[in-house]
Amino acid sequence: MEHASVIFLWIAYLLYAGAFAIFVVQFLTKSPALTRVGLVVAAAGLAFQTLTIVFRGFSAGHVPFVGAYESLVMVAWSIALVWHVLESFTRMRAVGLYVLPVVLILLTVAWVDYKPPVQLVPALRSDIVILHVIVMLTAIGCLYVAGGAGIIYLIEEALLRRRKAGGVLGRLPSLGALEKLMYHATLVGLPFLTAGMLAGIIRAETYNVPSWWVDPMVLLALFAWALYALLLWGRMRADWVGGRIAWLAIAGLVVLLVIRFAAVPYLSGFHTYGG
Amino acid sequence: MLVVVTGISHKTASLELRERLALDEAAALRVAQELLDGGAACEALALSTCNRTELYTYAGDSPAARQAAIAVLARHAGADVRELESSLYSYSGDGAIAHLFRVTSSLDSMVIGEAQIVAQVKAAYQQACEGGCTSVVFNRLFRHALEVGKRVRTETAIGERPVSVSSAAVELALQVFGKFKDHTVLIVGAGETSELTATHLKAHGIESILVTNRTFAAARELAHRVGGRAVPFEDLEAHVAAADIVISSTSAPHYVITRERVERALRRRRHRPIFFIDIAVPRDLDPEIDRVRNAYLYDIDDLQHVVEQNRGEREKEAHHAERIVEEELRSVNDWLRSLEVVPTIATLRESVEKIRRAELERLGGKLGDLSDEQRAQVDMLTASIVNKILHLPTVKMKEVAGSQECYLYVAAVRTLFDLSGNGAAPRSGGGAAADDAATDASGAETTGTADPPGATVHHLRGAGTDNA
Repeated sequence: MEHASVIFLWIAYLLYAGAFAIFVVQFLTKSPALTRVGLVVAAAGLAFQTLTIVFRGFSAGHVPFVGAYESLVMVAWSIALVWHVLESFTRMRAVGLYVLPVVLILLTVAWVDYKPPVQLVPALRSDIVILHVIVMLTAIGCLYVAGGAGIIYLIEEALLRRRKAGGVLGRLPSLGALEKLMYHATLVGLPFLTAGMLAGIIRAETYNVPSWWVDPMVLLALFAWALYALLLWGRMRADWVGGRIAWLAIAGLVVLLVIRFAAVPYLSGFHTYGG
Repeated sequence: MLVVVTGISHKTASLELRERLALDEAAALRVAQELLDGGAACEALALSTCNRTELYTYAGDSPAARQAAIAVLARHAGADVRELESSLYSYSGDGAIAHLFRVTSSLDSMVIGEAQIVAQVKAAYQQACEGGCTSVVFNRLFRHALEVGKRVRTETAIGERPVSVSSAAVELALQVFGKFKDHTVLIVGAGETSELTATHLKAHGIESILVTNRTFAAARELAHRVGGRAVPFEDLEAHVAAADIVISSTSAPHYVITRERVERALRRRRHRPIFFIDIAVPRDLDPEIDRVRNAYLYDIDDLQHVVEQNRGEREKEAHHAERIVEEELRSVNDWLRSLEVVPTIATLRESVEKIRRAELERLGGKLGDLSDEQRAQVDMLTASIVNKILHLPTVKMKEVAGSQECYLYVAAVRTLFDLSGNGAAPRSGGGAAADDAATDASGAETTGTADPPGATVHHLRGAGTDNA
């Protein structure tokens, strides 16, 4: 089981890398047919990654979210999934070019941290923990995509302002489309983030975790939540457009990355299973 | 037999000369027919666009075909042959075919990558075809050329990037807004470029166009032309607030729209972005506008710069296109070579000999009773039947080998005996054309060779038309 899971991961990795190469060629040649090919190859990668997770789950005997390897594979998977769903709704050009490297990097980091499956420690054997993890992964997938769109937005705006339109025209999604993407991804991501945090709090309360509310990770998560709430409020109520939304999406992304790669492994008192 | 092209283009001739040599549809057909009737060519086609006038011929004697083409052109323009000489170019054989492919791929156009040329070549071909001026070779060659044009457009990005100021402006606006849905454009001042830009925007889905001008009548006139609505100049700020794209081209000596005005307008429209295009010289729009959040300003220099960059891109793509042209040239050459007499006779003999051997082998068992000597006699008998049957066609083909229309016989033989030979098999269209050509060619022979070659080809015209 574990062998099959690892082999599927490698196949998925190769497919993602192939899809990325196709998108690079597409970017250079601008052949529309290649976009479709790239999407199909990436979708095949996603299918194999799904198999990886399913098989890993069977061999571990639980939903695979424990440790760096499992959790990063999960995050990469949720990003790829969110991207595919958004792609099928919005038909945006060239987004694969920016999403796929992120997925590939996450999978590489995951692979470096590879460990064989372990039994769940008793503290994690709980439905609400699994709910917490799944909901959080969905939120993270959406919010990473929003942050990525924010980065492209700012780069593109700067290029347009500096009259470097040549590298932009027809190659990057339009500012309007990116803005919509940031907004919609956050609109979906924030409720999931809220639900995930609530599940975590309920778990901490019922398990009597001592002073969980001053844990650095919890504080950072609250901060991220506030940023995204501000983004949605600004967009809906205060006519914030474009740049400001992009900055907020990026700030949120930075906080999420700090949580994942600094707070969870090094700072948090109790939330160390993901590290 | 060679393809020969003779003509002038924007690269060699002044606009004045191009105007004199321009041919309308009827004239183009007349010129082609004159060439055929004069006997200098077996097939002829005249291509005339605003940037070129070219005569394509398929002829046995290329210098003669060239002279005839020049004479016809000069006569048409009412000019002296010597006057034209210096502006003319002429290619034959590979050079001519490569030229045709480059023309259809827009590589020879004034604006590389422009899309109209394919349609123009197509129209010229259809006309010549219906007028009975093309046959086996041109029917195939021009269809191939149109496909090359299509291939270049799909496989390279040669036509992707806009290279006019107005289309670059539209492209930039699209980059900001994504797609035009409920967007509004405001035209300030009535200029040609702003009208052109508005038309482009409309083609991309913008429905609401506002036009304003200091003289209201002028605004109304332009609004009428572009299908928009004229609005009074006094409420400029309100109109800016209502517009997503503002195109300005007044002759005002000072800024018509200032930064403060834009800031107020943006507040009014809840900071939804505005894209400003300033085509006026001196400028109408305060350059400071570009510093306002959610306001983007491109002036004429910026747009020119985008156009320059895009031209560069297109030239890069042109290299890919040249490679495609070379590739296609090879494939068409293979086919043209197959229209030569000697290899065709060899292929015909080979194919018949193959049939004879196969039949002998099939009969092998039943001939078991025969002695070796008898067997050799059967072999000789069959060989001599085959030789006798092939003798006359072989001699006849060698007879016509020197004549202009020999390729029509070759095409007929290749079709009747299904010889693909050293060239690619004729395509469905080309094959059918050759078929019809064969019928006419034999008809021409029975009526006697007194007919000038031009007249023979003339007959064949009806054939091509059905396949067009």
